[in-house]
Amino acid sequence: MRKAKGVKRLGAVLFGAFALVSTLVSCSASTTSESQSLTIYSGRSEELIAPFFEEFSKESGIKVDIRYGDSAALAAQLLEEGANSPADLFLSQDAGSLGAVSAANLLAKLSSDVLNKVESKYQSKNSDWVGVTGRTRVFVYSPERVTSLPKSIDELTQSQWRGKLGIAPTNSSFQAFISALFQSRGEAGAENWLNAIKANEPKIYEKNSQIVEAVDGGELDLGLVNHYYIWEVSSELGRPVKAKIDFFQPGDLGNLINVSGAGVMETSKNKAGAEKLISYLLSDATQQRFVSDTHEYSLVLPELKPEDLPALSEVKAPAVDLSTLADLQKTQALLVKVSLI
Amino acid sequence: MKRSRLSFLLLAAVLISLAFAAIPIIYLFTRAVSSEQTTLSNLIFRGKTLEIFLTTISLTAAVVTLATILGVGLGWILYNVRLPKSNLLRALTVLPIAIPSYVFTYTWIAVFPGFSGFWAATFVLVLSTTPYVLLASLASLWRVDWSQYEVARTLGLNSWQTFFKVTFPQIRNSIAAGALLVALYTLSDFGAVSLLGVDTFTRAISNIYRGSFDRSAAAVLALILVLISLIIISSENRTRMSIKLPRSANRLNTVTEPMSKKSLTIPALLLIASYLALGLFIPMGILINRFFSSAASINISNLFITGLSTVSVALLGALIALCLGLPLGILLQQDSKLAKFSERSLLVVHALPGIVMGLALVSFGSKVSWLYQTLLLLAFSYALLFMAKSVGSIRTGLARVPKNLTEVSSTLGVNRAQTFWRVDFPLAAPSILSGVLLIFLSAMKELPATLMLRPTGFETLATQMWRYTSISQFSEAAPYALLLVVIAAIPTFLINRPDKNTSNEGEIS
Repeated sequence: MRKAKGVKRLGAVLFGAFALVSTLVSCSASTTSESQSLTIYSGRSEELIAPFFEEFSKESGIKVDIRYGDSAALAAQLLEEGANSPADLFLSQDAGSLGAVSAANLLAKLSSDVLNKVESKYQSKNSDWVGVTGRTRVFVYSPERVTSLPKSIDELTQSQWRGKLGIAPTNSSFQAFISALFQSRGEAGAENWLNAIKANEPKIYEKNSQIVEAVDGGELDLGLVNHYYIWEVSSELGRPVKAKIDFFQPGDLGNLINVSGAGVMETSKNKAGAEKLISYLLSDATQQRFVSDTHEYSLVLPELKPEDLPALSEVKAPAVDLSTLADLQKTQALLVKVSLI
Repeated sequence: MKRSRLSFLLLAAVLISLAFAAIPIIYLFTRAVSSEQTTLSNLIFRGKTLEIFLTTISLTAAVVTLATILGVGLGWILYNVRLPKSNLLRALTVLPIAIPSYVFTYTWIAVFPGFSGFWAATFVLVLSTTPYVLLASLASLWRVDWSQYEVARTLGLNSWQTFFKVTFPQIRNSIAAGALLVALYTLSDFGAVSLLGVDTFTRAISNIYRGSFDRSAAAVLALILVLISLIIISSENRTRMSIKLPRSANRLNTVTEPMSKKSLTIPALLLIASYLALGLFIPMGILINRFFSSAASINISNLFITGLSTVSVALLGALIALCLGLPLGILLQQDSKLAKFSERSLLVVHALPGIVMGLALVSFGSKVSWLYQTLLLLAFSYALLFMAKSVGSIRTGLARVPKNLTEVSSTLGVNRAQTFWRVDFPLAAPSILSGVLLIFLSAMKELPATLMLRPTGFETLATQMWRYTSISQFSEAAPYALLLVVIAAIPTFLINRPDKNTSNEGEIS
């Protein structure tokens, strides 16, 4: 009987699906009965942060359920969930995403124990999130093709850089930099710079790592990125990259310091546990590991520095209020206006 | 009495799928109306929006045209030309579907660092969407009435004339359905366009979400995208002809032998080989090469568990889609306005970027705590996102069931429901199965909605690939990509078998 063949096959498929799913559901159900647990929304990638969570869990006895995602997508998700969010803690790759969640009044005030550990310029003005690690904006360049280094972001609008510059305007770290530009030069000033850059025909990328790879591959001479991407790309390629990073002149906006950070959700039922985790992330031992493993800056131990780079206090960063970087709406509107996104 | 209960069940199922399809649309409207008028008009009436519009339209047109030509060409070759290992070739040509577009794109960027822009995106999208047209044309070629083909050849038409006058009209509806899927895929793709820097609506929508959390602005752009997909869907509808010719039972007895001309075999093999090289072997080769050239290690047990999780949730999604899609396919056999409306709604939803669907279901789902972030909701989101892919093949599959067979069945006193299960369904099973396969394959590689809706800690192959690729560890992602393709290969081979059985045991016994 051929009639039954297709049906049988379909039946087998359906049965298989049921069996698999029921096994899976029963497995996952059995693990959620602990009393002390934390649900973390982590915008920081699993590869880098998971070992820290595991260690915290071991030390504190608090079980952690971690939901990994893109920082901004997780922030958008938290905004949609609103008061119904199952999250206890939001760990973000950038200040902007934390700021958006904070602006919607979804974050709880942190205790002064946590806040006092970090300089006030690296935390929320509303005391509802705190920076965990620091990263600086730098330029990445090809030492073979670039002999005289640019001193300021304004030099990048000169014709010698036409078609040789790479930017990632949709990336949150670039947008934070534009927010800083907006803040210090006003809307007209920021727009002028963006238009001048745009007229210089920059190459547009999606990610910082693509820019570093493009400089390494000879496709670009110079690009605007965060400092640690040079290690990230070289560890992927399994060799040192043919690119270097450097800072603009002291105080230039191109040397902006941004942070990754954490905040506790207002709706969390385990705020104490969540704060414990933030304290763990800010502890000396953990901070040292951030510097050595992920090449970031410590916000607690300012004397520590990633290899080959100046200490955070020596980075001549512009004076920018990180809390205002959270307001990316205007920045975005400006980038839309000059048609870079 | 049975009859009315049956219609009631059908109707209920269709209404349920319609209600699901409404969720993201309602979500978009609520978000859009909450935006300020000035920002709204600034957003819509700026030059960039027109530019995005034109880019979206031309990219879609280019991809659809090229993928259709390539897909029909490959389908025709695979059906008509005698090739060595034809079953293997057939299954392999479908596999590019299983590679997520961002992985696919990345591998090409790795080979050509300057690879970017409109034509690069067209190249990538054509390679990854051709299987939709290929599957559609193969499925319908198996059902072509070849007695007419032989009549035409006897009457002196050459093979080209026969193709355009006899074969093409019979497969045209299926091809149009496949081309529509290609168009909607292109509209909703994020991976390729974002990495290659092509500004389409989907990229613009995602950027606004990610950059400014301005959910109303993103919703407005998404509604424009809905409008575009509506236009494309209704134009596909207009090209659709009613199928009159092939509904006779006799055709099942006649299956022509594949042509075995040497002159055709070699160019045919060359075309297939170059498609497979570009669409499957080179990208996979690059991934494997990256894996071995770095110190990455495979975590076998994690790989196994992730594979199992992916398969089960994707199967559950495909199963839900089948339960909802089958009634719709049945209702579409009659001239039901409701069914047509539901079908179009599902197609519109299919064209939405994953992030929009994800956020819509987060917005609704988070209010239902027992459902939120469960496998069930995740599987439902897959069903909702990809159901449109199966409705077309279910509909055409059922439409091809010879009417006189169902009539005979009725004359013998078998009721409608039994007739359906004993006559229509088995005959349409290959088509239905290939529809289910498409949902399964798409669900396995879905990323943005999966990240938002999965149970916390639940990993699929796509989320694991994202985990590594987001920090540019492409070598670590390679085993997951390979496993995805291997898993995809299994059902693809299964789907390819039924036709062989049909040709051997084609008689209705």
